[in-house]
Amino acid sequence: MLSPVKLWRNQKKVGEMLGRTGKIISWTTVRVPPADFSDQAPYPVALVELDGGGRITAQLVDWEDQNLKTGQKVANVVRRIIKPNTEGVIPYGIKVKPI
Amino acid sequence: MNVSIIGAANTKFGELWDVSPRALAREVVFGALKDAGIEVRQIQALFVGNMLSGMLGGQEHLGAFFAEELGFTNAAAFKIEGACASGGLAIHTAVNGILSGQYETVAVLGVEKMTDHKPEDVATALMGAGSSQERAAGCTFPGLYAILARMHMQEFGTTEEDMAAVAVKNHYHASLNPNAQFHRPITIEAVLKSHKVADPLKLLDCSPISDGASALVLSVRRQASGVKIVASSVATDTLGLDQRASLTELQATKEAALRAYKQAGIEAKDIDVAEAHDCFTIAEILALEDLGFYIKGSAARAIQAGEVTLGKAKKLVVNSSGGLKGCGHPIGATGVKQVVELVAQLRGTAGARQVAGARMGLAHNVGGSGATAVVHILKR
Repeated sequence: MLSPVKLWRNQKKVGEMLGRTGKIISWTTVRVPPADFSDQAPYPVALVELDGGGRITAQLVDWEDQNLKTGQKVANVVRRIIKPNTEGVIPYGIKVKPI
Repeated sequence: MNVSIIGAANTKFGELWDVSPRALAREVVFGALKDAGIEVRQIQALFVGNMLSGMLGGQEHLGAFFAEELGFTNAAAFKIEGACASGGLAIHTAVNGILSGQYETVAVLGVEKMTDHKPEDVATALMGAGSSQERAAGCTFPGLYAILARMHMQEFGTTEEDMAAVAVKNHYHASLNPNAQFHRPITIEAVLKSHKVADPLKLLDCSPISDGASALVLSVRRQASGVKIVASSVATDTLGLDQRASLTELQATKEAALRAYKQAGIEAKDIDVAEAHDCFTIAEILALEDLGFYIKGSAARAIQAGEVTLGKAKKLVVNSSGGLKGCGHPIGATGVKQVVELVAQLRGTAGARQVAGARMGLAHNVGGSGATAVVHILKR
Protein backbone atom coordinates (compact mmCIF):
# COMPACT_ATOMS: atom_id res chain seq x y z
CA MET A 1 0.00 0.00 0.00
CA LEU A 2 2.84 2.39 0.76
CA SER A 3 4.85 1.97 -2.45
CA PRO A 4 5.45 5.55 -3.72
CA VAL A 5 4.86 4.43 -7.31
CA LYS A 6 1.49 2.89 -6.45
CA LEU A 7 0.50 6.04 -4.56
CA TRP A 8 1.54 8.20 -7.53
CA ARG A 9 -0.54 6.13 -9.98
CA ASN A 10 -3.51 6.20 -7.61
CA GLN A 11 -3.51 10.01 -7.35
CA LYS A 12 -5.20 10.28 -10.76
CA LYS A 13 -8.22 8.34 -9.51
CA VAL A 14 -8.34 10.39 -6.31
CA GLY A 15 -8.44 13.61 -8.36
CA GLU A 16 -11.40 12.40 -10.39
CA MET A 17 -13.43 11.56 -7.27
CA LEU A 18 -12.67 14.72 -5.32
CA GLY A 19 -15.54 17.08 -4.51
CA ARG A 20 -18.28 14.77 -5.71
CA THR A 21 -21.37 14.61 -3.52
CA GLY A 22 -23.85 11.87 -2.74
CA LYS A 23 -25.86 10.20 -0.01
CA ILE A 24 -25.24 7.30 2.39
CA ILE A 25 -27.17 4.15 1.42
CA SER A 26 -25.62 1.85 4.06
CA TRP A 27 -22.91 2.00 6.69
CA THR A 28 -21.12 0.15 9.48
CA THR A 29 -18.90 1.05 12.42
CA VAL A 30 -15.60 -0.83 12.27
CA ARG A 31 -14.58 -1.73 15.84
CA VAL A 32 -11.98 -4.42 15.06
CA PRO A 33 -9.79 -2.71 12.42
CA PRO A 34 -6.99 -3.86 10.14
CA ALA A 35 -3.54 -3.39 11.72
CA ASP A 36 -2.70 -0.03 10.08
CA PHE A 37 -6.00 1.50 11.24
CA SER A 38 -5.76 0.54 14.92
CA ASP A 39 -5.21 4.14 16.08
CA GLN A 40 -8.40 5.32 14.34
CA ALA A 41 -10.94 2.71 15.53
CA PRO A 42 -13.84 2.73 16.04
CA TYR A 43 -14.81 4.57 12.85
CA PRO A 44 -17.75 4.49 10.43
CA VAL A 45 -17.44 3.23 6.85
CA ALA A 46 -20.21 4.28 4.49
CA LEU A 47 -21.44 3.05 1.14
CA VAL A 48 -22.37 6.20 -0.77
CA GLU A 49 -24.58 6.62 -3.86
CA LEU A 50 -22.90 9.45 -5.78
CA ASP A 51 -24.88 12.20 -7.47
CA GLY A 52 -24.58 11.67 -11.21
CA GLY A 53 -24.05 7.91 -10.84
CA GLY A 54 -21.71 5.41 -9.28
CA ARG A 55 -21.00 4.46 -5.68
CA ILE A 56 -18.03 4.57 -3.34
CA THR A 57 -17.13 2.76 -0.12
CA ALA A 58 -15.29 5.25 2.11
CA GLN A 59 -14.52 6.12 5.71
CA LEU A 60 -16.82 8.80 7.15
CA VAL A 61 -14.98 11.69 8.83
CA ASP A 62 -16.02 14.81 10.79
CA TRP A 63 -19.23 13.02 11.81
CA GLU A 64 -21.65 13.11 14.73
CA ASP A 65 -24.15 10.41 15.74
CA GLN A 66 -26.98 12.14 13.86
CA ASN A 67 -25.03 11.74 10.60
CA LEU A 68 -25.10 7.93 10.80
CA LYS A 69 -28.27 7.44 8.79
CA THR A 70 -29.44 6.41 5.34
CA GLY A 71 -29.91 9.45 3.14
CA GLN A 72 -27.23 11.54 4.89
CA LYS A 73 -25.66 13.87 2.32
CA VAL A 74 -21.88 13.67 2.06
CA ALA A 75 -19.04 15.03 -0.05
CA ASN A 76 -15.78 13.38 -1.11
CA VAL A 77 -12.74 14.93 0.55
CA VAL A 78 -9.04 14.13 0.50
CA ARG A 79 -7.62 12.82 3.79
CA ARG A 80 -4.62 10.97 5.09
CA ILE A 81 -5.50 7.23 4.98
CA ILE A 82 -3.07 5.95 7.63
CA LYS A 83 0.00 7.14 9.50
CA PRO A 84 3.08 5.75 7.74
CA ASN A 85 6.26 4.92 9.63
CA THR A 86 8.68 7.83 10.08
CA GLU A 87 10.46 7.32 6.75
CA GLY A 88 7.41 6.32 4.69
CA VAL A 89 5.31 8.23 2.16
CA ILE A 90 2.05 9.58 3.57
CA PRO A 91 -0.86 7.95 1.69
CA TYR A 92 -3.80 10.24 0.88
CA GLY A 93 -7.13 9.11 -0.48
CA ILE A 94 -10.86 9.71 -0.58
CA LYS A 95 -12.96 9.84 2.57
CA VAL A 96 -16.47 11.30 2.88
CA LYS A 97 -17.80 13.96 5.24
CA PRO A 98 -21.35 15.03 6.06
CA ILE A 99 -22.64 18.22 4.37
CA MET B 1 -20.44 -35.72 -15.46
CA ASN B 2 -18.34 -38.80 -14.71
CA VAL B 3 -16.53 -37.78 -11.52
CA SER B 4 -16.86 -39.77 -8.31
CA ILE B 5 -15.75 -38.84 -4.81
CA ILE B 6 -14.03 -41.97 -3.56
CA GLY B 7 -12.31 -40.56 -0.45
CA ALA B 8 -13.04 -37.75 2.02
CA ALA B 9 -11.60 -36.57 5.34
CA ASN B 10 -11.50 -33.58 7.70
CA THR B 11 -9.18 -32.66 10.54
CA LYS B 12 -10.58 -31.15 13.69
CA PHE B 13 -11.17 -27.42 13.12
CA GLY B 14 -10.16 -24.93 15.79
CA GLU B 15 -7.22 -23.22 17.45
CA LEU B 16 -4.61 -25.87 16.69
CA TRP B 17 -1.45 -24.23 18.04
CA ASP B 18 0.42 -27.53 18.36
CA VAL B 19 -0.17 -28.63 14.75
CA SER B 20 1.72 -27.42 11.65
CA PRO B 21 0.23 -27.03 8.13
CA ARG B 22 2.38 -30.02 7.07
CA ALA B 23 0.88 -32.17 9.84
CA LEU B 24 -2.66 -31.03 8.95
CA ALA B 25 -2.07 -31.99 5.30
CA ARG B 26 -0.62 -35.41 6.15
CA GLU B 27 -3.47 -36.28 8.51
CA VAL B 28 -6.22 -35.28 6.14
CA VAL B 29 -4.82 -36.44 2.78
CA PHE B 30 -3.70 -39.83 4.10
CA GLY B 31 -7.13 -40.05 5.77
CA ALA B 32 -8.84 -39.47 2.42
CA LEU B 33 -6.55 -41.98 0.66
CA LYS B 34 -7.32 -44.60 3.31
CA ASP B 35 -11.02 -43.87 2.93
CA ALA B 36 -10.64 -44.38 -0.83
CA GLY B 37 -8.58 -47.54 -0.36
CA ILE B 38 -5.82 -46.36 -2.70
CA GLU B 39 -2.08 -45.73 -2.53
CA VAL B 40 -0.11 -42.48 -2.77
CA ARG B 41 1.33 -43.51 -6.17
CA GLN B 42 -2.15 -43.64 -7.71
CA ILE B 43 -2.63 -39.86 -7.24
CA GLN B 44 -1.79 -38.10 -10.51
CA ALA B 45 -2.43 -34.51 -9.42
CA LEU B 46 -2.81 -32.48 -6.22
CA PHE B 47 -5.00 -29.35 -6.08
CA VAL B 48 -4.40 -27.20 -2.99
CA GLY B 49 -7.00 -24.62 -1.93
CA ASN B 50 -5.44 -21.93 0.25
CA MET B 51 -5.56 -18.15 0.56
CA LEU B 52 -3.13 -16.79 3.15
CA SER B 53 0.01 -18.94 3.17
CA GLY B 54 1.99 -16.19 1.43
CA MET B 55 0.71 -13.18 3.36
CA LEU B 56 0.67 -14.82 6.80
CA GLY B 57 3.22 -17.63 6.58
CA GLY B 58 5.61 -16.32 3.93
CA GLN B 59 5.27 -19.66 2.10
CA GLU B 60 4.07 -19.81 -1.49
CA HIS B 61 4.61 -22.57 -4.07
CA LEU B 62 2.17 -24.70 -2.09
CA GLY B 63 1.67 -27.29 -4.83
CA ALA B 64 5.28 -28.42 -4.56
CA PHE B 65 5.37 -27.77 -0.79
CA PHE B 66 2.58 -30.23 -0.02
CA ALA B 67 3.48 -32.66 -2.83
CA GLU B 68 6.88 -33.03 -1.16
CA GLU B 69 5.35 -33.51 2.28
CA LEU B 70 2.88 -36.11 0.99
CA GLY B 71 5.34 -37.98 -1.21
CA PHE B 72 3.45 -37.10 -4.44
CA THR B 73 6.80 -36.54 -6.12
CA ASN B 74 5.76 -37.20 -9.71
CA ALA B 75 2.26 -35.78 -9.50
CA ALA B 76 1.21 -32.43 -10.99
CA ALA B 77 0.55 -29.99 -8.15
CA PHE B 78 -1.20 -26.62 -7.98
CA LYS B 79 -2.26 -23.93 -5.51
CA ILE B 80 -5.68 -22.45 -6.29
CA GLU B 81 -6.63 -19.15 -4.68
CA GLY B 82 -9.99 -17.40 -4.67
CA ALA B 83 -10.18 -15.90 -1.17
CA CYS B 84 -12.71 -17.84 0.98
CA ALA B 85 -13.78 -19.76 -2.16
CA SER B 86 -10.28 -21.22 -2.62
CA GLY B 87 -11.44 -24.68 -1.52
CA GLY B 88 -14.44 -24.75 -3.84
CA LEU B 89 -12.31 -23.48 -6.72
CA ALA B 90 -9.73 -26.21 -6.03
CA ILE B 91 -12.47 -28.86 -6.35
CA HIS B 92 -13.77 -27.23 -9.55
CA THR B 93 -10.25 -27.22 -11.01
CA ALA B 94 -9.73 -30.87 -10.02
CA VAL B 95 -13.06 -31.82 -11.63
CA ASN B 96 -11.97 -30.07 -14.84
CA GLY B 97 -8.65 -31.93 -14.71
CA ILE B 98 -10.55 -35.22 -14.71
CA LEU B 99 -13.15 -34.15 -17.29
CA SER B 100 -10.38 -33.09 -19.66
CA GLY B 101 -9.09 -36.67 -19.69
CA GLN B 102 -5.68 -35.55 -18.38
CA TYR B 103 -6.04 -37.30 -14.98
CA GLU B 104 -7.98 -40.30 -13.70
CA THR B 105 -7.49 -39.95 -9.95
CA VAL B 106 -6.59 -36.73 -8.10
CA ALA B 107 -6.46 -35.34 -4.56
CA VAL B 108 -7.89 -32.01 -3.38
CA LEU B 109 -6.47 -30.48 -0.20
CA GLY B 110 -8.01 -27.41 1.45
CA VAL B 111 -5.85 -26.01 4.24
CA GLU B 112 -5.39 -22.83 6.27
CA LYS B 113 -3.38 -21.91 9.37
CA MET B 114 -4.68 -18.65 10.83
CA THR B 115 -4.39 -18.65 14.62
CA ASP B 116 -0.59 -18.33 14.66
CA HIS B 117 -1.08 -14.64 13.79
CA LYS B 118 -2.51 -11.53 15.45
CA PRO B 119 -6.20 -10.80 14.64
CA GLU B 120 -5.28 -7.37 13.17
CA ASP B 121 -2.80 -9.02 10.82
CA VAL B 122 -5.37 -11.65 9.81
CA ALA B 123 -7.95 -8.86 9.21
CA THR B 124 -5.43 -7.02 7.01
CA ALA B 125 -4.55 -10.18 5.06
CA LEU B 126 -8.23 -11.06 4.52
CA MET B 127 -8.83 -7.61 3.06
CA GLY B 128 -6.61 -8.76 0.20
CA ALA B 129 -9.88 -10.25 -1.05
CA GLY B 130 -11.54 -6.83 -1.28
CA SER B 131 -11.04 -3.82 -3.53
CA SER B 132 -8.29 -1.22 -3.09
CA GLN B 133 -10.90 1.42 -2.21
CA GLU B 134 -12.34 -0.88 0.49
CA ARG B 135 -8.83 -1.25 1.94
CA ALA B 136 -8.28 2.52 1.83
CA ALA B 137 -11.61 2.94 3.66
CA GLY B 138 -10.23 0.83 6.53
CA CYS B 139 -13.06 -1.62 6.02
CA THR B 140 -12.91 -5.25 7.16
CA PHE B 141 -14.84 -8.33 6.05
CA PRO B 142 -17.25 -8.04 8.97
CA GLY B 143 -17.64 -4.41 7.86
CA LEU B 144 -18.49 -5.31 4.25
CA TYR B 145 -21.07 -7.91 5.33
CA ALA B 146 -22.42 -5.41 7.88
CA ILE B 147 -23.06 -3.00 4.98
CA LEU B 148 -24.88 -5.81 3.14
CA ALA B 149 -26.81 -6.69 6.32
CA ARG B 150 -28.04 -3.11 6.76
CA MET B 151 -29.19 -3.03 3.10
CA HIS B 152 -31.16 -6.25 3.68
CA MET B 153 -32.63 -4.91 6.93
CA GLN B 154 -33.74 -1.71 5.21
CA GLU B 155 -35.21 -3.49 2.19
CA PHE B 156 -36.90 -6.53 3.79
CA GLY B 157 -37.25 -5.73 7.50
CA THR B 158 -34.67 -8.38 8.47
CA THR B 159 -33.78 -7.98 12.16
CA GLU B 160 -30.75 -8.61 14.37
CA GLU B 161 -32.77 -11.43 16.01
CA ASP B 162 -33.29 -13.03 12.58
CA MET B 163 -29.55 -13.01 11.98
CA ALA B 164 -28.87 -14.33 15.50
CA ALA B 165 -31.12 -17.34 14.73
CA VAL B 166 -28.65 -18.44 12.03
CA ALA B 167 -25.83 -18.55 14.60
CA VAL B 168 -28.02 -20.42 17.11
CA LYS B 169 -28.94 -23.07 14.51
CA ASN B 170 -25.39 -23.54 13.29
CA HIS B 171 -23.92 -23.77 16.80
CA TYR B 172 -26.57 -26.44 17.56
CA HIS B 173 -25.50 -28.41 14.47
CA ALA B 174 -21.82 -27.92 15.40
CA SER B 175 -22.53 -29.36 18.85
CA LEU B 176 -23.27 -32.67 17.05
CA ASN B 177 -20.06 -32.56 14.96
CA PRO B 178 -16.94 -33.95 16.70
CA ASN B 179 -14.64 -32.06 14.27
CA ALA B 180 -16.31 -28.66 14.82
CA GLN B 181 -14.51 -25.75 16.51
CA PHE B 182 -17.46 -25.04 18.84
CA HIS B 183 -19.52 -27.63 20.71
CA ARG B 184 -21.52 -25.26 22.88
CA PRO B 185 -25.10 -24.38 21.87
CA ILE B 186 -25.83 -20.64 22.18
CA THR B 187 -28.97 -18.55 22.57
CA ILE B 188 -30.43 -15.59 20.66
CA GLU B 189 -29.76 -13.43 23.75
CA ALA B 190 -26.10 -14.46 23.85
CA VAL B 191 -25.68 -13.44 20.20
CA LEU B 192 -27.42 -10.10 20.73
CA LYS B 193 -25.33 -9.37 23.85
CA SER B 194 -21.97 -10.33 22.31
CA HIS B 195 -19.75 -7.35 21.64
CA LYS B 196 -20.01 -5.43 18.41
CA VAL B 197 -17.46 -6.11 15.68
CA ALA B 198 -18.93 -4.06 12.82
CA ASP B 199 -22.42 -2.77 13.59
CA PRO B 200 -24.94 -4.34 13.24
CA LEU B 201 -22.79 -7.51 13.29
CA LYS B 202 -21.66 -8.80 16.65
CA LEU B 203 -18.99 -11.33 17.59
CA LEU B 204 -21.43 -14.27 17.47
CA ASP B 205 -22.67 -13.22 14.01
CA CYS B 206 -19.14 -13.86 12.70
CA SER B 207 -17.39 -17.08 11.77
CA PRO B 208 -14.21 -17.56 13.80
CA ILE B 209 -10.52 -17.49 12.88
CA SER B 210 -9.58 -21.15 12.55
CA ASP B 211 -6.97 -23.73 11.63
CA GLY B 212 -7.89 -26.88 9.77
CA ALA B 213 -7.71 -28.98 6.64
CA SER B 214 -10.02 -31.10 4.49
CA ALA B 215 -9.31 -33.47 1.63
CA LEU B 216 -11.06 -35.37 -1.14
CA VAL B 217 -10.02 -38.03 -3.63
CA LEU B 218 -11.81 -37.66 -6.97
CA SER B 219 -11.72 -40.31 -9.67
CA VAL B 220 -13.29 -41.51 -12.89
CA ARG B 221 -13.60 -44.86 -11.13
CA ARG B 222 -16.83 -45.49 -9.27
CA GLN B 223 -17.37 -47.12 -5.92
CA ALA B 224 -20.40 -49.22 -5.01
CA SER B 225 -21.25 -46.82 -2.17
CA GLY B 226 -19.96 -43.87 -4.18
CA VAL B 227 -21.04 -40.27 -4.34
CA LYS B 228 -20.94 -38.52 -7.70
CA ILE B 229 -20.38 -34.87 -8.54
CA VAL B 230 -23.23 -34.00 -10.90
CA ALA B 231 -22.54 -30.24 -11.17
CA SER B 232 -19.56 -27.93 -10.62
CA SER B 233 -19.91 -24.26 -11.47
CA VAL B 234 -18.16 -20.96 -10.77
CA ALA B 235 -19.36 -17.39 -11.30
CA THR B 236 -17.79 -14.04 -10.53
CA ASP B 237 -18.83 -10.47 -9.74
CA THR B 238 -16.99 -7.23 -8.99
CA LEU B 239 -14.43 -7.28 -6.16
CA GLY B 240 -15.85 -4.24 -4.43
CA LEU B 241 -19.42 -3.74 -3.17
CA ASP B 242 -19.55 -0.25 -4.69
CA GLN B 243 -19.45 -1.63 -8.26
CA ARG B 244 -22.35 -4.10 -7.80
CA ALA B 245 -25.68 -3.89 -9.61
CA SER B 246 -27.56 -5.11 -6.49
CA LEU B 247 -26.68 -4.99 -2.80
CA THR B 248 -29.47 -7.25 -1.52
CA GLU B 249 -28.29 -10.33 -3.40
CA LEU B 250 -25.02 -11.93 -4.47
CA GLN B 251 -25.30 -12.13 -8.24
CA ALA B 252 -22.40 -14.60 -8.48
CA THR B 253 -24.26 -17.04 -6.21
CA LYS B 254 -27.42 -16.76 -8.31
CA GLU B 255 -25.50 -17.35 -11.53
CA ALA B 256 -23.41 -20.24 -10.20
CA ALA B 257 -26.55 -21.89 -8.80
CA LEU B 258 -28.50 -21.52 -12.05
CA ARG B 259 -25.65 -23.12 -14.03
CA ALA B 260 -25.30 -25.92 -11.48
CA TYR B 261 -29.02 -26.78 -11.46
CA LYS B 262 -28.94 -26.84 -15.26
CA GLN B 263 -25.85 -29.09 -15.35
CA ALA B 264 -27.44 -31.50 -12.86
CA GLY B 265 -30.87 -31.32 -14.49
CA ILE B 266 -32.55 -30.59 -11.16
CA GLU B 267 -34.23 -27.73 -9.26
CA ALA B 268 -33.53 -26.16 -5.88
CA LYS B 269 -36.43 -28.08 -4.33
CA ASP B 270 -34.68 -31.40 -5.10
CA ILE B 271 -31.84 -30.67 -2.63
CA ASP B 272 -32.00 -32.59 0.68
CA VAL B 273 -28.95 -31.15 2.42
CA ALA B 274 -26.93 -28.00 1.74
CA GLU B 275 -23.74 -26.47 3.06
CA ALA B 276 -24.20 -22.72 2.49
CA HIS B 277 -21.46 -20.11 2.94
CA ASP B 278 -22.31 -18.52 6.33
CA CYS B 279 -19.13 -16.51 6.97
CA PHE B 280 -21.51 -14.10 8.72
CA THR B 281 -25.11 -14.78 9.73
CA ILE B 282 -26.46 -12.41 7.05
CA ALA B 283 -24.54 -14.45 4.46
CA GLU B 284 -26.64 -17.58 5.10
CA ILE B 285 -29.82 -15.53 4.71
CA LEU B 286 -28.56 -14.12 1.40
CA ALA B 287 -27.41 -17.59 0.29
CA LEU B 288 -30.73 -19.36 0.91
CA GLU B 289 -32.47 -16.71 -1.18
CA ASP B 290 -29.86 -16.52 -3.97
CA LEU B 291 -29.62 -20.33 -4.23
CA GLY B 292 -33.36 -20.40 -4.91
CA PHE B 293 -34.48 -22.14 -1.71
CA TYR B 294 -36.53 -19.11 -0.60
CA ILE B 295 -37.85 -16.03 -2.37
CA LYS B 296 -36.02 -12.76 -1.66
CA GLY B 297 -36.73 -11.43 1.80
CA SER B 298 -38.25 -14.63 3.21
CA ALA B 299 -35.28 -16.81 4.26
CA ALA B 300 -34.64 -15.14 7.63
CA ARG B 301 -38.07 -15.99 9.05
CA ALA B 302 -37.86 -19.54 7.69
CA ILE B 303 -34.50 -20.11 9.39
CA GLN B 304 -35.85 -18.68 12.66
CA ALA B 305 -38.91 -20.98 12.40
CA GLY B 306 -36.57 -24.00 12.25
CA GLU B 307 -37.38 -24.89 8.64
CA VAL B 308 -33.75 -25.83 7.87
CA THR B 309 -32.73 -27.14 11.34
CA LEU B 310 -31.85 -30.80 11.95
CA GLY B 311 -34.78 -32.65 13.50
CA LYS B 312 -37.27 -29.89 12.62
CA ALA B 313 -36.86 -29.55 8.83
CA LYS B 314 -39.44 -31.19 6.58
CA LYS B 315 -36.81 -31.69 3.88
CA LEU B 316 -33.84 -29.35 3.34
CA VAL B 317 -31.31 -29.07 6.19
CA VAL B 318 -28.72 -26.28 5.91
CA ASN B 319 -25.21 -26.45 7.37
CA SER B 320 -25.45 -29.75 9.20
CA SER B 321 -21.67 -29.49 9.81
CA GLY B 322 -22.24 -26.33 11.84
CA GLY B 323 -21.34 -24.18 8.86
CA LEU B 324 -18.49 -21.70 8.87
CA LYS B 325 -20.06 -20.18 11.99
CA GLY B 326 -20.06 -23.27 14.21
CA CYS B 327 -17.63 -25.69 12.57
CA GLY B 328 -15.00 -23.00 11.99
CA HIS B 329 -13.64 -21.27 8.90
CA PRO B 330 -10.04 -22.13 7.99
CA ILE B 331 -10.31 -20.17 4.72
CA GLY B 332 -8.86 -22.59 2.15
CA ALA B 333 -10.32 -25.67 3.88
CA THR B 334 -13.91 -24.45 4.08
CA GLY B 335 -15.06 -25.18 0.51
CA VAL B 336 -13.56 -28.67 0.70
CA LYS B 337 -15.02 -29.32 4.16
CA GLN B 338 -18.49 -28.49 2.83
CA VAL B 339 -18.17 -31.30 0.27
CA VAL B 340 -16.67 -33.71 2.84
CA GLU B 341 -19.76 -33.08 5.00
CA LEU B 342 -22.09 -33.76 2.06
CA VAL B 343 -20.24 -37.02 1.31
CA ALA B 344 -20.88 -38.15 4.91
CA GLN B 345 -24.54 -37.16 4.62
CA LEU B 346 -25.05 -38.93 1.28
CA ARG B 347 -23.23 -42.07 2.45
CA GLY B 348 -25.38 -42.08 5.59
CA THR B 349 -22.37 -41.93 7.91
CA ALA B 350 -22.97 -38.50 9.52
CA GLY B 351 -23.94 -40.00 12.87
CA ALA B 352 -25.85 -37.72 15.25
CA ARG B 353 -26.27 -35.08 12.56
CA GLN B 354 -27.47 -37.44 9.81
CA VAL B 355 -30.20 -36.06 7.56
CA ALA B 356 -32.40 -39.13 7.07
CA GLY B 357 -32.51 -40.41 3.51
CA ALA B 358 -30.37 -37.61 2.00
CA ARG B 359 -29.76 -38.30 -1.70
CA MET B 360 -28.93 -34.89 -3.19
CA GLY B 361 -26.55 -32.33 -1.66
CA LEU B 362 -25.41 -28.81 -2.57
CA ALA B 363 -22.25 -26.98 -1.48
CA HIS B 364 -22.05 -23.18 -1.82
CA ASN B 365 -18.69 -21.47 -1.31
CA VAL B 366 -18.20 -17.69 -1.59
CA GLY B 367 -15.01 -15.66 -1.99
CA GLY B 368 -14.76 -12.10 -0.69
CA SER B 369 -18.02 -10.23 -0.29
CA GLY B 370 -19.47 -12.22 -3.21
CA ALA B 371 -16.95 -11.69 -6.01
CA THR B 372 -16.53 -15.45 -6.44
CA ALA B 373 -19.17 -18.12 -5.94
CA VAL B 374 -18.75 -21.87 -6.41
CA VAL B 375 -21.60 -24.38 -6.38
CA HIS B 376 -21.24 -28.16 -6.36
CA ILE B 377 -24.11 -30.64 -6.49
CA LEU B 378 -23.55 -34.19 -5.29
CA LYS B 379 -25.73 -37.24 -5.73
CA ARG B 380 -25.69 -40.63 -4.05
